[in-house]
Amino acid sequence: MNNQQNKTEMAPKGISLWQDGLRKPARRTSLWVGGLHRRKLAMASFVIIVVYFLLAGLIYVGEIFNWQWAAVKWSEQIGKQYQPPSAQHIFGTDIFGQSVFRKTLYGAKISLTVALCASFVSIAIGVPLGALAGYFRGIIDDIIVWIYSTLSSIPYILLILAFAVVLRDRTLFGHKLTGITSVYLAIGLTSWVGLCRLIRGEVIKHKERQYVLAARSYGCSNSRIIFRHLLPNVFHLVIIDFSIRFVAFIHAEVILSFLGLGEANRPSWGAMINDARIEMSRGVWWQMAAATLAIFFISLALNIFGDALRDCLDPKLRIQ
Amino acid sequence: MDNNLLLEVKNLSVHFSAEDGTVKAVQNVSFIIERGKTFALVGESGCGKSTTALAILQLVSVPTGPRGLLRKPAAGVSGSILLDGQDLTKLSGKKLRDIRGNKIALVFQEPMTSLNPVYTVGNQIAEAVKLHQRKSTRQVRRSQIPREMARPTWADAIDTLRKVSIADPEQIAKMYPHQLSGGMQQRVMIAMAVSCKPDLLIADEPTTALDVTIQAQILDLLEQLQRQTGMSILLITHDLGVVAERADNIAVMYASRIVEMADSWQLFAEPFHPYTQGLLRSLPRLGVSAPARDGQAHKRLPTIPGTVPEPLHFPTGCKFHPRCPIGHKDRRCRTVEPELREVQPGRYVACWYAPGYEKR
Repeated sequence: MNNQQNKTEMAPKGISLWQDGLRKPARRTSLWVGGLHRRKLAMASFVIIVVYFLLAGLIYVGEIFNWQWAAVKWSEQIGKQYQPPSAQHIFGTDIFGQSVFRKTLYGAKISLTVALCASFVSIAIGVPLGALAGYFRGIIDDIIVWIYSTLSSIPYILLILAFAVVLRDRTLFGHKLTGITSVYLAIGLTSWVGLCRLIRGEVIKHKERQYVLAARSYGCSNSRIIFRHLLPNVFHLVIIDFSIRFVAFIHAEVILSFLGLGEANRPSWGAMINDARIEMSRGVWWQMAAATLAIFFISLALNIFGDALRDCLDPKLRIQ
Repeated sequence: MDNNLLLEVKNLSVHFSAEDGTVKAVQNVSFIIERGKTFALVGESGCGKSTTALAILQLVSVPTGPRGLLRKPAAGVSGSILLDGQDLTKLSGKKLRDIRGNKIALVFQEPMTSLNPVYTVGNQIAEAVKLHQRKSTRQVRRSQIPREMARPTWADAIDTLRKVSIADPEQIAKMYPHQLSGGMQQRVMIAMAVSCKPDLLIADEPTTALDVTIQAQILDLLEQLQRQTGMSILLITHDLGVVAERADNIAVMYASRIVEMADSWQLFAEPFHPYTQGLLRSLPRLGVSAPARDGQAHKRLPTIPGTVPEPLHFPTGCKFHPRCPIGHKDRRCRTVEPELREVQPGRYVACWYAPGYEKR
């Protein structure tokens, strides 16, 4: 409160509080990124997220061009089995004498790929369906609501397991669904419900606004109103939902791998935790610790960043 | 056929089905608008003025499915709306969208909520132009005119903004609606409306949400645009002061019906319907003290007693009779509703006691 008062006093004459909230004097773009760079914690989280993504990207590129660097050579045996963490092996070694550190790095690629692809699948299903249901209402709304209510009435883990089992090793459009593809399809196909609901509700709210009537009055078609007028107005929700959902998707991948339905041949964090389950009883804690830490940091960073994003993008919270 | 005739509304009725019954928002409304003229629709809140405007553009029923496949009308609209002899109620989909914005444009009451908050105003005006010029671009390509000259661009938006007397249109076009004042937003709305050079501009209480000083500016702007383009204006308002000088013809609406319609000059000089008389009497006038009532000289402004009837429970007979100085005792007024009749050439009124009403 005190801080806020100070700010008010400090604001130069002629600049409204509102503009002050956006930090820059009213300019374009300030609507979107305004204020975000002021939050130190959010920026630190953002850096962590970028590092994770860079890592995953580099591993992809490294695999294509066959670069011989640590994370790509995760399968190499670098010492005896079950070496505890030391200066030489930061996170020790596993049963095959492979570096746990390298496996953790490589796990970032699997996890982020799964989370990213699952997000795209769920956005691609949830947003259009939510917008259609909210805009047209009536029987279209009934059908869509019925579908997602049915989906969401099945316990999530069971549903995702069922999808993963069904999708596994099927061929879709002549493309064989390997472990990782079936995992993100299973996650994406089961998790669009929340987003769909959110978008539907928001579209119902927005379509009663006068600018929609105005758009119709100057001759916009239904699809134009949905995609050009309504979706941009609710899209901040998609971004925020994405940042929050992303963590859940990483976790879902971990769960699926832990249950043996994930990627079998390459290390992911879930697979590592699954391996470590038995090792724990023998006092081998480092594989579990490494995977958990990796998940911990990305989850925390994404959560903090998602929160900050919501504060910046939601027009209701922006005016304080 | 009369060449000056632009829009003819015949027996327009709009019914909404609500839970407690049917709301008759508009009943048997008929009027004509001539080219280049201003027609004013006056009445209290909830009397059906805005619904009439929306009904002209076929905007009252909300589609519940694409391509009308699953359309469940939320409102029943009957009657006909002839624009240049073409019945808008018979059109659908694409053809109707070509009329909206292009032939008939709408300016709304609240400019702050009528602009999309996520686009710059220039973008929004350009969109309105783009929607209707796409076809002509195709035609132009066939006729070998350079495309740049025919394609609607940002420049068109800026031109239109200049037309509605916005200073520095290049800068304003880049702004978002929330950065503009109410008056500016309304100018932008008008710019959007006139960007396609419509034949008819429907202004639905264009000044209600604005300051009094801005109101006059906006109305002057409309008048000026009308002079430049020769469009007709359907001005909807509850403010008789607004229409006094600007409208050519006035229709007074009360409880979903037109009760009196006449030339503006005639209506102000000699109102026939008790409701119109009441409205005019209750206008405050500068420097004129209110007339004496009940034998006492008092300074209070006369009002029309009572309130507007609820649309679900309209009184029987003439809907104005409970508030009418003549009709509240009259049996016929209470039981039989008078229809709108022409009592003098060009003068219509719906009152049993209006001069000349029963002779015809």
